[in-house]
Amino acid sequence: MAELTPGGQVTRRGFLLGSAAVAATATAFTLSGCSTKGSAAGRPLQFWQFYAPQTQTAPDLKAQNDWFQKAVGDWNAAHRQKVENVFIPNFTDPSNTRLATAFASGDGPDIFLISPGDFLRYYNGGALLDLAPYMTKEAIADFNPDILATRQVGNGVYGLPMEVEPLAMFYSKPAWEKAHLSEGDIPKTWDEMLDVAKKLTTPSRSGLVFETVPGYFQNFTWYPWMWQGRGDVVDAHQNPSFDSKAVTQALDLFGRSVRTGVAPRTDPAAGDLPGAFAQGYAAMWQSGIWQVAGFRGSQPKFEYGVFPLPTPPGGIPRTVLGGWAWCVNARGRNPEAAARFVVETVGSMSEASVQRIVDWCSVAKSDMPPRKSVDARMKAKGAFDDPTLKYFHDTILPTGRGEPRYPPVVYKAISNAIQQVQTAGGDAAAQARTGNDAIEAFMQTYKGGTLL
Amino acid sequence: MTAVNARGATTPPATAGATPPRSNMGKARARREGRAAFLFLLPDSLGLLIFVFIPMLMSIALGFFRLDGFGNLSFIGVANYVRMVHDPQFLQSAGVTAVYLVILVPAVFVVALLLALLVQQRIPFVGAIRTALFAPYVVSLVVVGLMWQFLLADKVGVVNQFLSHVGITGISWLGDPKYTLGTVVVISIWFQMGYYMIIFLSGLQDIPAELYEAARIDGAGAWQRFANITWPLLRPTSLFVLITVTIAVITGGFDLIYILTGGGPAGSTSLLIFYIYQQAFLFGEYGYAAAIGSVLVLVLLIWSAFLFRATKGGRVDDE
Repeated sequence: MAELTPGGQVTRRGFLLGSAAVAATATAFTLSGCSTKGSAAGRPLQFWQFYAPQTQTAPDLKAQNDWFQKAVGDWNAAHRQKVENVFIPNFTDPSNTRLATAFASGDGPDIFLISPGDFLRYYNGGALLDLAPYMTKEAIADFNPDILATRQVGNGVYGLPMEVEPLAMFYSKPAWEKAHLSEGDIPKTWDEMLDVAKKLTTPSRSGLVFETVPGYFQNFTWYPWMWQGRGDVVDAHQNPSFDSKAVTQALDLFGRSVRTGVAPRTDPAAGDLPGAFAQGYAAMWQSGIWQVAGFRGSQPKFEYGVFPLPTPPGGIPRTVLGGWAWCVNARGRNPEAAARFVVETVGSMSEASVQRIVDWCSVAKSDMPPRKSVDARMKAKGAFDDPTLKYFHDTILPTGRGEPRYPPVVYKAISNAIQQVQTAGGDAAAQARTGNDAIEAFMQTYKGGTLL
Repeated sequence: MTAVNARGATTPPATAGATPPRSNMGKARARREGRAAFLFLLPDSLGLLIFVFIPMLMSIALGFFRLDGFGNLSFIGVANYVRMVHDPQFLQSAGVTAVYLVILVPAVFVVALLLALLVQQRIPFVGAIRTALFAPYVVSLVVVGLMWQFLLADKVGVVNQFLSHVGITGISWLGDPKYTLGTVVVISIWFQMGYYMIIFLSGLQDIPAELYEAARIDGAGAWQRFANITWPLLRPTSLFVLITVTIAVITGGFDLIYILTGGGPAGSTSLLIFYIYQQAFLFGEYGYAAAIGSVLVLVLLIWSAFLFRATKGGRVDDE
């Protein structure tokens, strides 16, 4: 309490004492805010994701929010250990540091979503709990083995995929009509694709768009072009195999597309595919099944088409299957309860668990299912009646391979090679060699989960 | 009764036991003032200690460890520093940062000084011109980045649309490594020039007008007045600008790079500060990132010391 003079004014001593008290209190509050660990005991387990709770009114976002809230609500209604949805904006951006800093400060969430691109970092850091002991063999076998493989180490299951998101080539029908192209011109080979792209290119429109921003996503979009030539980053014995013809030609495809002027050096419309098509900025674009929902939400009347990624001479049809998986923090506050929550919600053979994934892939989103039981049920309910989804399911999905998992150094070596060839005009063969050398040097001392 | 001291000032009567002697009062007052100064300085000092000095020491120490971001810590000596020498990405980022620094620091300095000399003149609407030049600095760098991304978009951006009318087409300002660093430099100059213009302007306004009048009477031309009056008397301001621009260039720029190019294309805009961020938060290499940060701080200290020495601490009375 500040001292007052007889006139009611605050004395200097009083002011100083008061200031010191305020400063001490503020400091104490500030410092106590640095750690939540001690005060977190007894709270609901935190589930970090990018869907709920949020107040967006767009139909797809609302449906996704409702699904997450219901999934957590169902668990909370039946269990003492509660779970709480925590919405993390921009969670999908790999440069979002919130998850990384939370783990670095020993305060990571109990349950969270990750993509295969990040899997090894978290697995090698000991942050992921093995969910296999909480699952039945039947439930593990119910998952598509290709999709589950990149979340497994040995017999352990360290993440449960909730969706499958294949890549394909999207094209703008109005742009094709203006260029006097028809469905018969849909390219089947890389050369045909570049030829068609040339016809579609105008001073304001890019004929073909490959991802240009360096990062996990660009690597993700590039892998299928490498696989089509039967190439890979490491072979079955974990030896580097990046210096190969398949890698060189896949790198060169990105380089040629820019050199010939049919592909842009930056993403048109800041990466908004439906917007770019609608405004006439792009005519063909390699992207994923999530764009089906994107068109439905922002350009519902726009006419677009989808075709599988063209192949190189002698190549095999290949695409990559993305998607997010539920993981449990092995160092969380109650990992066992968190594991039971994850398995019961998305990884058991119970009616509720199967139906939940059906609803996620067909009501909340328009995705392909990660589980056989879900696939059968989605077929039965007509979820693939939509021609585009049916095409994805019947034609594109069977050519898919799960998104690979590489440690950051390997990811960076691949990214550098892609960028050097795509934007800096680098020699593809030389970049494949450079990348291979970097991967080889890293693998000599690498200890951790298998690269897949 | 009052006593008169040697200076003729009156003092209260020295009543033993009621009022302490003058010397004791002085000491008590000094103690009180010292305590007050201590209390006033305490919050800031605590803040600096907790949020700057301790993290700085921890960061330096962290450079000798491998820390993976999940609490797995192991001492590795100088391995992180050795790794730097053999890391082509680090060397590329260091090169990009050096080029960025060498171009941007003098450019901001010269442009800001010229603008300050311009807006110091009595010209119409000078207030509006000063405001317009300063305006970019008050905008968030993220907004600046997004705005320029929009203006510089390939094919359909405003800049390329304008250039197409004069026959220049096909330039990818943010997607071609030949242009990206230059583009970022120009945007950085545009963003920073207003702030440093104001700093220079305050320095210019501190120079007594009589000096210029005397020089004019003596027949000195504009260049002579600048070289012999303005330039030497601006030395303290110049030193401040040089040091703060350098620090801003080395430790800042992250937001702009993050929004505009993401360090690409092909690493052409991967400044060291961006590389540190990548190593720490994308790759979980906290020890390595800390080691690079320590090197960067060391470079800044050496550069600041060099500037102090070269400009004699910005003093104007040594010539």
